[in-house]
Parts: sequence; structure tokens; C-alpha cells
Amino acid sequence: MLSSNMSKGQERSQTIPSIAVHGLTGCAGELLVILENLEQLIPYVRVASFPFAQSSNEEDRPVDIAFVEGSVSQPHDLERLLKIRAQARWLVAVGNCAVWGCVQKGGCRNQSTVSLLHETYGEDSPIECLPATPLQDHVRVDVKLSGCPINATQLLAVTASLLRDHLPYITSKPVCLECKLRENACVLIEQNLPCLGPVTAGGCGALCPTYGAACYGCWGPCEQPQMEAMATILEEKGYDMQEVMSRLFAFGAPDELFERVKKNLTAKS
Amino acid sequence: MERTATFKKDQFEQFFCLLKSFGKVFAPVRVSEKSFSFKSIESPSQIAFEALRTILPPKKFFFQQHEPILSYDENGIHEVKPETQQQVIFGVHPCDLAGLGIMDKVYTASPPDPHYIARRQATMLVGLSCMPDKHCFCKSMGTDSPTSDYDLFLTDIGDKYFVQIHSANGLNLIESMPDFFSRPEAQEDQTFKDFWTTRDKAFSSHFESENLPAIMDMEWNSQVWDDLGNRCLSCGNCTPVCPTCYCFDMVDVASLHANRGERVREWDSCQFVGFAKVAGDTNFRPGPVDRLKFWYRHKLHGFEDPHGLPTCVGCGRCTESCPAGIDDIVNVVLRLQGKPSILVTDKKKTQAGGCGTSCGDCQCDTADGDQHA
Ligand code: SF4
Ligand code: SF4
Ligand code: SF4
Ligand code: SF4
Repeated sequence: MLSSNMSKGQERSQTIPSIAVHGLTGCAGELLVILENLEQLIPYVRVASFPFAQSSNEEDRPVDIAFVEGSVSQPHDLERLLKIRAQARWLVAVGNCAVWGCVQKGGCRNQSTVSLLHETYGEDSPIECLPATPLQDHVRVDVKLSGCPINATQLLAVTASLLRDHLPYITSKPVCLECKLRENACVLIEQNLPCLGPVTAGGCGALCPTYGAACYGCWGPCEQPQMEAMATILEEKGYDMQEVMSRLFAFGAPDELFERVKKNLTAKS
Repeated sequence: MERTATFKKDQFEQFFCLLKSFGKVFAPVRVSEKSFSFKSIESPSQIAFEALRTILPPKKFFFQQHEPILSYDENGIHEVKPETQQQVIFGVHPCDLAGLGIMDKVYTASPPDPHYIARRQATMLVGLSCMPDKHCFCKSMGTDSPTSDYDLFLTDIGDKYFVQIHSANGLNLIESMPDFFSRPEAQEDQTFKDFWTTRDKAFSSHFESENLPAIMDMEWNSQVWDDLGNRCLSCGNCTPVCPTCYCFDMVDVASLHANRGERVREWDSCQFVGFAKVAGDTNFRPGPVDRLKFWYRHKLHGFEDPHGLPTCVGCGRCTESCPAGIDDIVNVVLRLQGKPSILVTDKKKTQAGGCGTSCGDCQCDTADGDQHA
């Protein structure tokens, strides 16, 4: 399927929009979602580059849409990202890693990069690493499609919009909305579980609460999350403030969101 | 004039078959230890007769969560015909009937909404009596007895149901099985009246609502809004669950096929930060305090619009489903009226060592830094 598309690719390249799919430091979850849904995209796009899935890839050629997974955690991630940006008309950050920095960034908040590197790869590791950061810290990102992994319907809708030169609509309303629409019993209220649905962007369809578990925020923050109120309510339910903070921090949300929570924490201790 | 009838509870199965002859039956079903939901049912044994409030109110059957209203392709723009089915919603309590009455006003006002109306017309509403719990305050809002366009209403009078017949559809249904129903005897009329007297006395949450809109105007700058709003998660749980929240967002969804797509209507909430955001990134209600106050205003005062109604029907859903405990409408109203009341924010203040009042004048622990200073 892929290779036949590639062979036809060259002659069709003038008429059909091209996409590239790249992975920086991440788990390849988004790459898999894109691969799984590629058949639906292929009639409308030419896959110019997808190193994870095909062996013959165009390098350094302009492309209409570049999907980039992963955070910038190594110097060569940054080099690649700058090249990708230079060649792409639209750059789409896919997945929490690319949009927020995900657990890599959450981890870097707790420990120094050096100690993380040594603990993971040994003291004499030749790997060079940077503190994990999302794409937007380095380049202009046109569309942020978070997820862990991303939602396939959203991926297809984003692609469809970009093919028409529309900026896509991606919900940034909290998980609670999707949870209520599914008529789930609220686990935060009924079971006192530390659900982060109120501060987390929807898109997953409230997957965890639907199965009776607390949302742990893997999609990253919703628009203007009320972190301080969230911390207050979890603390009142008996969660230790350190635990609350580590939950809120885990998926790489930007520090500014926590300023007031941290201020209150310091005031208390 | 309203007609009445009775039937024996142990013959409910037959009544259920009668309902099924009209259309697909939906009724409250238990979904967790404390929660219920209106779901499609096949047998009366699935019905949770004890349910007071379902997670989502019956508005979901008419005002759909996600609904394409237009589609476009090479040939132009087309109206999407609403999908409808003959259906019966069984077990609707008086507050929810009143809620649907408000939804009907909004969605039939000019220009009428064809989707809402088509589904409403294909539906039979069968009400059911209830006994209030601590969160019910429909009596305070004047929505405690069946009103608006229901078809049948069942009152539990012991071993029988007392049926009020309120519409031609309802009457046709009853008359299609004349031997099954009886005329109420004098004693049964009395039991019916007694039931409603007992119920009237059973409300533990209450406030006087006569001057509510005026009080909402007077207390627009009350400290209560800051105190509660600063606890608000902006999670929006309070609006999908409200039987009268009718707001929606409209999005155009392109298709991968060139020139095709849809315009979709989805439920929205004034508690979300994007709701009042306009071009230029200006936001009329940028913070949770602004949004919570606005929500309370629509519920207890109403907008300056032709409907102009307070839109709360006292079902208690928001109180029960607010994780922050700030949608405690009864206590908020009592507080605004200067009457004895307990709010979730009081406890916090006492614990923090403040004076327990919301004066906001001093710099004691009661004041929350930024908001009050
Ligand atoms: S379970 Fe979580 S996501 Fe669902 S409504 Fe409750 S707080 Fe929100
Ligand atoms: S505001 Fe709350 S109590 Fe009033 S009708 Fe809506 S959900 Fe029910
Ligand atoms: S309270 Fe808010 S969401 Fe509900 S109807 Fe009013 S404006 Fe709309
Ligand atoms: S009032 Fe309660 S339910 Fe509504 S948005 Fe705020 S925290 Fe959520």
C-alpha cells in the first residue's frame, strides 16, 4: 500500500498535497495512530516522508503538512525540528510530548537532566540530552493536536481542515464535558478519586472516568485550567499537597499555570 | 378539563406494553450507587422507579449533544433533516416537565428550531410523582406540580397509579385499552390529594422566591460571588446537567473529500472560558468569578430578553454534580436574602482562622490574597 503510493508519488506530487510524519523523543504512539489511519488519508495526500513506516523518504524538500511527534530532548531533535519547520507549510505538533513536553518534561521538573541521564543510561553514556521541551518553545507551531495518544477522528479532521486551508477546530474544553455527555457517575464526587478531568483538555471521550478511574491529565491542560481550585478541592478530599502537585505536574503543563498553587504551597509550609 | 384514571401497579407490565405501542420507551436506569440515567428499556424491571434526578435531564432527547444541521458539497448547502423516532419518556418528574416547558419556549420562539420541534412532536411524556430529597427545591421555584405539555402523569397512590391525562395523544392511548383503566373512586381521589399534601410538607430545602430577581440585582456585587467563584473549576458540569441550559456552539467540520463538510451544533457552557470570547481575543467574562455569577444570574434572574424568566426549576442536579460544592443554590439564595445559611466557603474560613464573615475589609486569613486585597 505504502510503497505503491510512493512510486506513484513522484508524478502526482504536483497535484496532490504532501505530508511528512516525524518522531522526535517520544514513544511513537502518535506515529502508530497515523500509520493506522493512513489508508484513509492516502487518497488525498502523498506521504513524502515517514521514516518510521517507509524506507524511501524525501529529505529537505518542501511539504504541505508536517506532523511532528515527541519532545525536544536531545540536540539532534532540535536540529531536525528546525529543518522540518523550514520545509513545512503547516507544522502540526501531535501528541502531548510535542504539545506540552509530557512526562519527559514532568520528570525534568523533579530531577536534573544529568541525574536522569546517568540513572537511565549509566554514567558513561555517550547520549547528549537537553531538558525536555515542547516544540513551541523552539519553532512556530501552527496546530497543536494533543493526546496520549492522539484521537484518530481529530487527526483526520485536522488534516481535512488544513487541506482546505482552514485552521482546524480542536476542543480545549475540559474532560468533564465529555464525561457528562456520556453520563458517567463522577468519580471525583462519588468515589473521591483524584480526577483531573476539570483541568484537562477533552478529546479522549473521558476514557478513564468511563471505566471508573480518575483522569490523570494525559491530554495536557484545558484552556485556562483552574489549577488552584483543583488543588484546593483535592486537598480538601484528603490528598496530600505534594501528591496533588506531582499529579498536576506529571504531564508537562507549563510552569506559569502553577504559580498560584506553588505560592500557596510555600505559604503553608 | 383534565381527565383521570387509575390502574393497578401489579399490572404495570401491561401499561408498559401500551407505552411500547406508541414508540421506543426510555426510563431512568441505575448506573451507579448514586446515579441514574434515562436509557432505552425493554422491560419494566429495568426501571429505577426510585430515581429522583438522572445525570442528564430529558432535554437530551430533543436538544442533541452533537448534531449536524447543514451539510455542503459541490452542489451547494443542504439542510440536514432531523432524525426522529416515535418515543416515550417515562418517569419524568415535575421539575423536569417544567424544564422542558422552558426549553419548549426557547426552541419554539421565532425562528423555531425544526430539529427540536420534530423530536418533541414524536414524543410522549409520561410523568411520575416523587418525594423530595435534601437537594430538591422545585417548590421554591414554583415548579413542583406537573405543568406544561406532558401527556400522562402518574401519581403513586399505594397499590395503584393515579393517571392525569393531559393531551390528545395521552387520551388516545388510554382509550385504546378501556378495560385496563378504571375511573378513580372517591376514596382514590382523596388518596391522590393526600399524597400531594404529604409531598408538599416533605421539602427540607426552601426559600421565598418572590423577590428573587430583585435580590439578584441588589446583590450583583456581593462578596459571595468572589468567594464561590474562586473555588470554581470551570469544569462546566453544572450546565449539561441543567434541564434548562440550552446553549450550543457551532462548528464547521471539513471532510477529507474536497468540497464536502458539515455544520455541527454541540452543547456548550457559559462556564467555559471560550464561551464569551470574541474576535480580538476579547472576553466578556474572562474569569471564573464572572462566569459563575453570570450562570447564577441566568438561573435565578433571567436575561433581559423576551423570555426574561429565571430558568432554574429546582431539580438540584447542579448542586449534586458540582465538584466544588458551590452550586448550592438554596444556601446562596438564603445568604443573599440575609437569612441563616451555610456555604462551603464558610467552613474553609473558620478553619483558616478568619472571622468567618465575608467582609473582605481586613487582611485576615479569610481574604484570599489577590481577589480581596
Ligand atoms: S469523573 Fe472526572 S472528568 Fe468526569 S465529571 Fe467527574 S471530575 Fe469531571
Ligand atoms: S440551576 Fe441547578 S437546580 Fe436549577 S434547574 Fe438547573 S440544574 Fe436544576
Ligand atoms: S446558564 Fe449558561 S449555559 Fe445555561 S442557558 Fe444560561 S447562558 Fe446558557
Ligand atoms: S460551578 Fe461547579 S460544576 Fe459549575 S463549572 Fe464551577 S466547579 Fe464546575
